[in-house]
Amino acid sequence: MPEANVRHRPAVAMALSLLFAGLGQLYNRRYIKGILFLIIEAAFLITFYNFLNIGLWGLVTLGEIPMLDHSIFLLIQGLVSVIIIAFAVALHVANVIDARNDARRRQRGEPFPSLVESCRNAWDRGFPYIFVTPGLVMLLFIVVLPLLFMVSLAFTDYNLYHSPPRHLLNWVGFENFKNLVSIPIWKSTFFSVLAWTIVWTVVATTMQIALGLFLALLVNDPRIKFKRFIRTVLILPWAVPAFVTILVFAAMFNDKFGAINREVLSLFGLSVPWMTDPFWTKVALILIQTWLGFPFVFALFTGVLQSISRDWYEAADIDGATRWQKFKSITLPHVLYATAPLLIMQYAGNFNNFNIIYLFNDGGPAVRGQNAGGTDILISWVYDLTFTTNNYNMAAAISLIIGLIVSGFAIYQFRRTRSFKEEGNM
Amino acid sequence: MRKALSLFLMAVLFVGLLSACGPKRDAEQPKQTNNGTEEAKKPEKLVVWVNDDEKQKQALKDIFQKYTEKTGIKIEMVAVNMLDQTKKLALDGPAGKGPDVFYQPHDRIGDIVLQGLADPVDLGDAKDEYSETAVNAVTYDGQTYGVPAVVETYGVFYNKNLVPEAPKTMDELMKIAKEKTNAAKDQYGFLMEATNFYFVYPFFAGYGGYVFKNENGKYDTSDIGLANDGAVKGAELVQSWFKNGYIPKEITGDIMNGLFTKGNVAVAITGPWNIASYKEALGDKLATAPLPVLDNGEHPKSFVGAKTWMLSAYSKNKEWAVDFMKFVTNEENSLHYYEVAGEMPANEKALTNEKITNDPLIAGFAEQIQYGEPMPNVPEMSQVWEPMGNALQFIAKGDNPKAVLSEAVKTIQDKIAASGAGK
Repeated sequence: MPEANVRHRPAVAMALSLLFAGLGQLYNRRYIKGILFLIIEAAFLITFYNFLNIGLWGLVTLGEIPMLDHSIFLLIQGLVSVIIIAFAVALHVANVIDARNDARRRQRGEPFPSLVESCRNAWDRGFPYIFVTPGLVMLLFIVVLPLLFMVSLAFTDYNLYHSPPRHLLNWVGFENFKNLVSIPIWKSTFFSVLAWTIVWTVVATTMQIALGLFLALLVNDPRIKFKRFIRTVLILPWAVPAFVTILVFAAMFNDKFGAINREVLSLFGLSVPWMTDPFWTKVALILIQTWLGFPFVFALFTGVLQSISRDWYEAADIDGATRWQKFKSITLPHVLYATAPLLIMQYAGNFNNFNIIYLFNDGGPAVRGQNAGGTDILISWVYDLTFTTNNYNMAAAISLIIGLIVSGFAIYQFRRTRSFKEEGNM
Repeated sequence: MRKALSLFLMAVLFVGLLSACGPKRDAEQPKQTNNGTEEAKKPEKLVVWVNDDEKQKQALKDIFQKYTEKTGIKIEMVAVNMLDQTKKLALDGPAGKGPDVFYQPHDRIGDIVLQGLADPVDLGDAKDEYSETAVNAVTYDGQTYGVPAVVETYGVFYNKNLVPEAPKTMDELMKIAKEKTNAAKDQYGFLMEATNFYFVYPFFAGYGGYVFKNENGKYDTSDIGLANDGAVKGAELVQSWFKNGYIPKEITGDIMNGLFTKGNVAVAITGPWNIASYKEALGDKLATAPLPVLDNGEHPKSFVGAKTWMLSAYSKNKEWAVDFMKFVTNEENSLHYYEVAGEMPANEKALTNEKITNDPLIAGFAEQIQYGEPMPNVPEMSQVWEPMGNALQFIAKGDNPKAVLSEAVKTIQDKIAASGAGK
């Protein structure tokens, strides 16, 4: 049994293990553990030294000699290096904390668990983490790495004239963001596209939810017969792939040759410039999105409506509640409570609803003096920038802004939704 | 305090790693190509990326076979979609997995050179074999990049049931349009995608408009001629088609093709890629011709595209790769390629061979090629299409052509500046 040892200093153990993992443990006279830590750190340095060295150098300089250094490869290697180093730093910190804790125990003269015991402890406590870890590591490389890459590009000058391997990239700081709000051709377009994106998101999504809710309530009424048949019919728009529907609609809305003007509106002597006037194109897009989006909401609400207990309505009837009062105080809160997170996803989805904008009219019609079409939303504009004019840096900067808006919105809403607050209290 | 100390030490460690800087190497030029005075060593094989198209692959297989018989060099044919090749080459080239020869439309040359993916090719004596337009198409910054293989442009298709002969002049075409157009019944005398800059350009250029001033094989991208008097005159001509109701402003390629194959259109301006579907619908009634002459006596200068064999900058067998490219595009092989794949050769002798001039569906395009001019191959060209397409939409709606075109040119200049050119 070790005795209390006031002269054993935790600070020394910490400093030593900071210098090189395992040294502190050796100072604590925990030899097996110390040697294990030493071997792990040495192995890490030997294996990764060259990779990390090039990676960090590349991340800072983005290469020095054109045609030999490829900035994109160097950037990715640099980001991988940062992730590996983050892991290493986390382990190193754990090693320092471990050395301090052991040193304090020795100072107080407490006994140490044997190797077998500590292994068992670690297994018992760490069991869930051990099983989660592989997934997390995968996630890091599949999700976080591309994200970091995109974010990095927003701070470089990666465009057609600075494309590796012939040219190297440079870090330009916040210049791309500055250009976005200061250079006229970007500025006017950016704000008008952003404004329409927000209007589009709010109006189109709200309409699809409202229509879905309205139809769900109607079909759920006990007086309606052939419910199953009606439901099947109403879900049909969902069953046809969206891109097919959109292309068919694009043909139907053609000003001169489309069925809507030619067969339907001509009966009333009307002809609406669906494809050539920005306002009417926007109206057409919102109508189409309502058509495409309501079946999902309808199906969702139909399911939830059936779970509301009849007793509540009976109780309300006894109290003499009107139809509207029952809807407002029983149905609506119940339905929204259960579906809020999915409805928020609908808003986020429409914010980035590339398909419909691109396929219907490719963001058109054109607007004089603007860099994007009359109905381009941010994401379709980004697509244009990347694939027709190779402005990768600006596309990345705008994507970053889109990401911030969507995630900010989502986080705010999720935190205020009660169904998510109760997570973990099941 | 202790925490601060440990953080500080950590930072020192990190910076230490950082400043252990970089790869050890001499700052020498990466590669020195030996412009060989001695005969280049014959490689065992050449890797060639071809466009992923069954007919084209079939035609090329025979030609590659012949080259192997002649020289003993094996040709490894890899099918990669033409439009994906540069992206793939940018990754595969540095990794040493790239081809020796790849295949691209000529208007990508500017991008490709900027990215350093291709090396210039010295056409040498073979230069005279190719049509002048095709050689101009592959010339960038005064150097020839690649060997042109096939050329294409657009021209007039006409339906012999509705008009016995092709219109020779713009007046004749307008007369047809006036007589045969009955929009209420979906009957049209003359249709084209008149809001697509690619097809409208010849009418601008015929009067003196141009995209970028071209002097001695170099484009001056600061000199844009799309709002000069000639361009405005062309735009007014185009606008008159909409104003007179000859062409509906909602026109798209699909609608035009649909009406033409139904037999409702007398004359349509489009490219040889529609031959197959048009012929299936109209049979012997279909014929082609060059674009009708403008009222100033000029032929409209259609955009010519050339598809080109290019030399990868990563190739280790450059001399033999060039030899190979010239072999594939010689007269005999170009004709074979035309017969199997149906594309017009860039090789002048092949293009004027009677096999092509006697084909009523190709002859019109082959003739139009000589009046055409190559699409600019500078990267700035990618900033031109959208503003000009938009301008044509405004012109179709009836806006003042001069004002619209000046705006479009301003937008093009802004976009070129904003895209980072010249920095």
